[in-house]
Amino acid sequence: MKKKTKQVCALTLSAAMAAGMLAGCGSDSDKGGSDRKESAKNVEGKTYNGVDVSEHVDLKMYLLGERTPDFDAVYDEINKILEDKLNCSVSVDFLSWGEHEKKYSLLFSSQEDFDLIFTATSWGHYEQTVALGGFYPMAEDFIQKYAPQTWETVPEVAWEQAKINGEIYMVPNNQTEFGQDVLAVRGDLMEEYNVKSISNWDEMTEFFKRCAENGIYAVQNGPWYQYFQSQGMGLVGGTPKSGELILYNAEDPEDLDFRCIIDWDGFTDYCKQAKEMADAGCWSPDVLSNEEDRQTGLLTGKTAAMVWNMGTCLTYARQANTENPDWNTTLVDPVSDHPKHANPYINNGVAINKNSKNPERAMMALNEFYTNPEIQDLTMLGIEGKHWEAVGENQYKLLDESGYGLDNNCNWGWKNEKIYRTEYVENRTALDDTYDAVKESFTNNQREDHPYDGFNFNTENVTSQVAAVEAAVDTYYKPLINGLVDDVDQSVKDMKSALESAGIRDILTELDKQAADYVAGKQ
Amino acid sequence: MQKKQGVKGFFSKLYRYRIFLLMLLPAVVYTLIFSYYPMTGIVMAFKKYNYADGILGSPWCGLDNFKFFFKSGQAGLVTRNTVLYNLVFIAFNTIFQIAVAIFLTEINNKHFRKTAQSLMFLPYFISWVIVGVMAFNIFSSDYGFLNTLITGLGGKRIPFYTNPKAWPFILIFFNIWKNIGYGSVMYLAAIMGIDTSVYEAAAIDGANVFQRIRKVTIPMIMPTTIILLLLAVGGIFKGNFDMFYNLVGNNGLLFNYTDVIDTLTFRALIRSNDFGMAAAIGLFQSVLCFITVIVVNKLVGKYDKDYTLF
Repeated sequence: MKKKTKQVCALTLSAAMAAGMLAGCGSDSDKGGSDRKESAKNVEGKTYNGVDVSEHVDLKMYLLGERTPDFDAVYDEINKILEDKLNCSVSVDFLSWGEHEKKYSLLFSSQEDFDLIFTATSWGHYEQTVALGGFYPMAEDFIQKYAPQTWETVPEVAWEQAKINGEIYMVPNNQTEFGQDVLAVRGDLMEEYNVKSISNWDEMTEFFKRCAENGIYAVQNGPWYQYFQSQGMGLVGGTPKSGELILYNAEDPEDLDFRCIIDWDGFTDYCKQAKEMADAGCWSPDVLSNEEDRQTGLLTGKTAAMVWNMGTCLTYARQANTENPDWNTTLVDPVSDHPKHANPYINNGVAINKNSKNPERAMMALNEFYTNPEIQDLTMLGIEGKHWEAVGENQYKLLDESGYGLDNNCNWGWKNEKIYRTEYVENRTALDDTYDAVKESFTNNQREDHPYDGFNFNTENVTSQVAAVEAAVDTYYKPLINGLVDDVDQSVKDMKSALESAGIRDILTELDKQAADYVAGKQ
Repeated sequence: MQKKQGVKGFFSKLYRYRIFLLMLLPAVVYTLIFSYYPMTGIVMAFKKYNYADGILGSPWCGLDNFKFFFKSGQAGLVTRNTVLYNLVFIAFNTIFQIAVAIFLTEINNKHFRKTAQSLMFLPYFISWVIVGVMAFNIFSSDYGFLNTLITGLGGKRIPFYTNPKAWPFILIFFNIWKNIGYGSVMYLAAIMGIDTSVYEAAAIDGANVFQRIRKVTIPMIMPTTIILLLLAVGGIFKGNFDMFYNLVGNNGLLFNYTDVIDTLTFRALIRSNDFGMAAAIGLFQSVLCFITVIVVNKLVGKYDKDYTLF
């Protein structure tokens, strides 16, 4: 009898263990947002832009970043509008800044069930995902039928930029965003070091050296971008290392040559200057291993300046001035002697998943996000009365953004400058005036269009060369642009031979071919 | 009892050992699902993978996926680094762990022994991410503990993060520090298993502590040591990505001394997300590890058959 009990126990135990293990294999695809629970309501005869939407649909969207405390409350409001107009709801999942590089592609390879996803050229995985067949191709009549207002709003050039092999895979955002960074810099130090202005390369490096002489770091890392911008160069999107290895003369529409840094004398010239600055102590020797946020140096008083885009520089300059009023932090444009160029529209956008079960409804929802001012306000500013209040028709005043974050919830994919609000600043400071002046100088000083504007390199035919270059380049590139090598000439030479054996010449040949096709196709 | 044969015999055995077999089942299922089933993914190494066609439907591409690794010009360097680091790690870890295990058994004060063991075990639970931050706070030029100490004593700063030669030592140190507690437990268990009468006999014969360790303890734990060594050798072509990436990151200045296969692959493919190439490198490492294990196991077998894994 006792033996029998033992046997039963053993049997039950092992069965339970096996079952427990198998349970781990089950799918948990239903853990999306909170709104999924709501029962489907079908509404007879409901239409949107003349398309039948009587069947209720739950959409799922992926955004980049972190979920803020009030995010769900904001999206509850949005879902009320969507339910009303479209008979659908959207639940959102986030890919955090730290993990999106790794997880973005896994969403597609694991056949995850979702409909909409944020994307962007180069930094937001657009080209790579298209190359692997992850996005739903949006035919023109598809867009016109399900998102007619968006089709009208988005400029034609933006649709052109979104095309890969003649097919559109994302709805690009619609705003003039300048790619060139500016400096948020301590005004008190400029005065102390007797530096009157920082408007070009020489003045900037002069200031950097003054900082080093006085024992404070100037910036976080070597100013390679500022150098090539001051030479009128621009990056070629889609090429290895985020385009930093291959440049073109953006200010001369006649000049169609590409300059790879291993051949361009400017690069060696820059690296020598960078070494001089690094040796003087313009930035920390730990720069290659330091993973501090860009603003940390400025805010903690470790560096005299911070390099970032205009809007972010304003935000942190304000913060620095609030915490240390005597710093008199201000904004300067270190390449003000050169004309500016707006980012391509595809620098932010939204795509539809190839495996989406409801691409039509996803497109309609996107149309609402893009063209409904209420949703635009909600996603950018949060809830009216709680996070912000309206000033007139098209301005806003901040109340308390701590729970949501102004323009910081990956709402950039559907930003539409025709309808979004601009800030109304109550107590203007000198910094706000400087910001407006810098912004105006950007807007008034735009360069001529270049045939390569909007061009993006497609790596499909040279994938192994690109991977080999990515693997080989880091040994030399970052140390060089931060001036940390012992012998610049030797290191540039080493990098040249390493990249050549990795196949950079194949990439350049392919690039020439694609660029020629692109220019020919434009005419 | 008459010996039964053939199919009938098999079934009757199956019935006779049903309890044991059922108890074995979870482990078998586990191994099948998590070790054998994923192996079908090896085909990805030979495919130009795309999302639409999936793993099985994507077109074949021969050995194209392996090309980038050898083209990068770093294949030799990183393979050498991976193997050398692993050899040094295995050697130092084994020596230090055995030493610690022996010291712990020879110490009579129970409280001291337990405390020491816990303290040594602790680092094992710290993630490499945290270790990376700790290392940065020790070695950084600006605020690093070591450099603050050096300048405080009137010395000159040592920029560790631009000085590749220091890094093999730093990496080896952290590896030992992190694994010593966990590893020594295995040897401690082996030592506890030694029959105390052997020690008594040695004591009667007049053996002192050192003779006892050399003539009794070490020979007796040799089988455990060799099994653990063989298991470690099985991963000799796999770099510990967590450790190298978190301690070194993307610091190109240090790569000649610190880059291993895994970190190189990570850098090469993080932007393109090419699953095929990643699978190819995984396969490359696994095949080399497999060969190493077979060879080393054979060599051990030549020395003493009882010590082999299979």
